[in-house]
Amino acid sequence: MNEQSSNGRRDLKRWVLEGLVTLAIVGFCLGPLYWIFATSFKQMGTEYVIPPEFWPSRPTLQAYAVILGIQAPGAEQASQEGALKGTTEVKASPHLNFLIPVRNSLIVSTTVAAGALLLASLAAYAISRLRFRWKIQSLMVLWVAGLLPAVIVIAPTFVLMRSLNLLRTLLAMILPNIAYNIPLTTWLLAVYFSQLPWELEDAAKMDGYRPLQIYRKVILPLSTPGLFSAGIFAFLGSWGEFMLASAVTMGVMEVQTVPVAILNLSFEYRYQWTWISAAICLSVALMVLIALVFQRWVIQGLTAGSVKY
Amino acid sequence: MAVLFIIPALIFVTLFMYYPIVQTFIYSFFSLHRTADWLNAQFVGLQNYIAVMKSEAFRGAFGFTLYYTVMTVAFELAIGLGMAIATFSVHPRLRGILRAVLVVPWAIPPIVSAMLWRWLFHADAGIFGYLLMATGLVSRPPAFLTDPTLAVHSIIVASVWKNASMMGILLLAGLASIPQDIYDAAKVDGARTWFRFRRVTLPLLLPTILVTVLFRSLWALRMFEESYGLTGGGPGTTTDTLSTFAYKYFFTYARFGVGSAYAMVIFLMVVMVAIVYVNRVKGNLRFKE
Repeated sequence: MNEQSSNGRRDLKRWVLEGLVTLAIVGFCLGPLYWIFATSFKQMGTEYVIPPEFWPSRPTLQAYAVILGIQAPGAEQASQEGALKGTTEVKASPHLNFLIPVRNSLIVSTTVAAGALLLASLAAYAISRLRFRWKIQSLMVLWVAGLLPAVIVIAPTFVLMRSLNLLRTLLAMILPNIAYNIPLTTWLLAVYFSQLPWELEDAAKMDGYRPLQIYRKVILPLSTPGLFSAGIFAFLGSWGEFMLASAVTMGVMEVQTVPVAILNLSFEYRYQWTWISAAICLSVALMVLIALVFQRWVIQGLTAGSVKY
Repeated sequence: MAVLFIIPALIFVTLFMYYPIVQTFIYSFFSLHRTADWLNAQFVGLQNYIAVMKSEAFRGAFGFTLYYTVMTVAFELAIGLGMAIATFSVHPRLRGILRAVLVVPWAIPPIVSAMLWRWLFHADAGIFGYLLMATGLVSRPPAFLTDPTLAVHSIIVASVWKNASMMGILLLAGLASIPQDIYDAAKVDGARTWFRFRRVTLPLLLPTILVTVLFRSLWALRMFEESYGLTGGGPGTTTDTLSTFAYKYFFTYARFGVGSAYAMVIFLMVVMVAIVYVNRVKGNLRFKE
């Protein structure tokens, strides 16, 4: 009896401790995001009030309306900005439309994911399933490229895009990003393909299937989860790519992706933190949602892609 | 025959990754101002490199890049290890929550993370300045992003937040791969928690820690977005990294020769770490012949 109650107390202590540790980690990981989230619902101007409100007393969707172009950045805002800048000049700002960069990013990331999956799955199939010389060497050549810093390739890529007349187009981001994502996707898919049973392939060979047919009719249909997980990495990777996107879009609003648009927004309206916060929330929401929903695959891919190999 | 499957991927990687490296290498020996037409430009040998090495700015950026790499990787390892062990030892129900939460900072694009931290570090209305004032530690909000020393460390804090949880995820996988019976044996032998951690967990986790640290260093050495988004390299050039300098030389000053010399320095540093990293992990690059 006595022992039981002391056990119970120890259990309680353990639960409290575990709860506190969990809270601390959740606070660490989500705290900064919470603050941006709360700011995005504040009335314009109240984000500067000291002491800050941890949750806006009068939450509003105003910032989102401005970002999405539903509401024009009015004269009131413009004059406030002018006052903060120390000028009296009131310039009417044009409608913002953050949906343009979101659309661009969706186009770029989806195309990149599809392109990288196609090219990488072909290579991964040969590496994991076919016999040929220089097998490990060709995997190395594809894989090591993924470790290179972007800054070493950025200038010649820019020049190449200029000579192809592709500057200020989405294609200037799509093509290089396909290449940037091939190393990891090839690796992830090669590992996945190598774990599929060989009997199916042997049976297909008996039926006279050629390698390309086996790839299309046997390997790919069996690999939906693997393709999906590799695709998520290519999608997220190209969604966040900034250096190249910033260089090749050259300040043209119509072709900017989300990371570039957010940075420009913050240069242009640097006193409107409710707007910038709303833009950050919009652009992060989708990524966080994808990462959370496909958490298991993300974690598997991360570990396979960096530590295990 | 099998080569045909590999060629498309190889063409892309060569065209957008290997060929540009050679090109950057060539650029770095030419005087290129507002042009990349090196065939008609003046060959200057090592002069770009000499000019870069001699400049105060390079030494600053080089020092900051190294300091940033050491500091972020060290703190990320410490915090990541702590979070991994916590996630590993709590009740399975809490473990599920923690694993989900750890993925979140990783999923945020680096430049967006930098913007987010710029608001937290805001000089007038930033939450950190306010919290420090509220606790009475300071009388006025510190200039997190405009004071040279503070700016350097603000960037490190932001990066640690962004990457520590990713380290945690990788280390968690390492922890999970330690066979449970080793723990059980240690428990039976009466080993206390701290002793178990030092004599069982840590040695068995060491290979994972090493690979994780190498992997993170590969990315920290090329750090770009955090500086570019948080401070733009300022105040002055105190938080400029080798990457931000290279980028500015390319796209602000349009001096491809000097920029390429900067890029080559980063490349060499990354290659040195990459060689060690590749040697650690390439043993696992095996497929059925």
